[in-house]
Amino acid sequence: MADELDVTIPARLSEVRELSGMVEAFGDANGLPDPKVFVINLALDELITNTVTHGLEDKADAEIRIRMQVDGGTLILVMEDNGQPFDPTQDTNADVTSSLEERAIGGLGLHLVKSFADRITYEFVGGRNRLTMEHDLARAAE
Amino acid sequence: MDIEVAEERNDEVLVLLPVGRLDSGNARSFESVVMDHVSSGERRLVVDFSRLDFISSSGMRVLLIAAKALKAGEGTLVLCSMKNHIEEVFRISGFDRIIPIKESREAALAASS
Repeated sequence: MADELDVTIPARLSEVRELSGMVEAFGDANGLPDPKVFVINLALDELITNTVTHGLEDKADAEIRIRMQVDGGTLILVMEDNGQPFDPTQDTNADVTSSLEERAIGGLGLHLVKSFADRITYEFVGGRNRLTMEHDLARAAE
Repeated sequence: MDIEVAEERNDEVLVLLPVGRLDSGNARSFESVVMDHVSSGERRLVVDFSRLDFISSSGMRVLLIAAKALKAGEGTLVLCSMKNHIEEVFRISGFDRIIPIKESREAALAASS
């Protein structure tokens, strides 16, 4: 599994932990720096949480496919699910500035995903949400 | 899934040390631990991150809830000893402006007294 990770998991929060181990193994095999492995696992936790919490509507056969590969100096992560159509790139900006008393609880996850990715695109193809995130690896080494 | 949380007391201050990962899978368990302490009257909490390797917004949400509850009761929540990659997540989230983050346990205890 040195070059590519391609795994399909049931859409459940309990799957996130095992997936993070696979991402760490992929990172080791590809020489990814630990901070990059961390932000990938952070993004997967946030996106899977989002899909499981909002996008499934009790769909029993819901599944999430994750593919990762390193292409040149870029890490490409593609996540697909068969939940409700949802474009996370269009999500409104999270509240990151108001006071403690005023600060909204929630909405932060997608903000983190977008903040760490260098490029992020969304498509709805063949009845599935597909989110493609690119992380430039040079930036992590700075 | 339960999270392991070590606890140490320093006079009036209760120090919580979550271990390993604080993610979507165990954030509810962490919320129970923290909010049980708040409900039972703890007013000065420090969360020491020295044994934590991973946090996602599910875990940060718990800290925000606790900080709000403690502030409403004239209490304090101070965080300390974060690894760099975790501190960056707090900065990007703007949490560093609403919850004090100290470099060391000593500094956190000083800020809590």
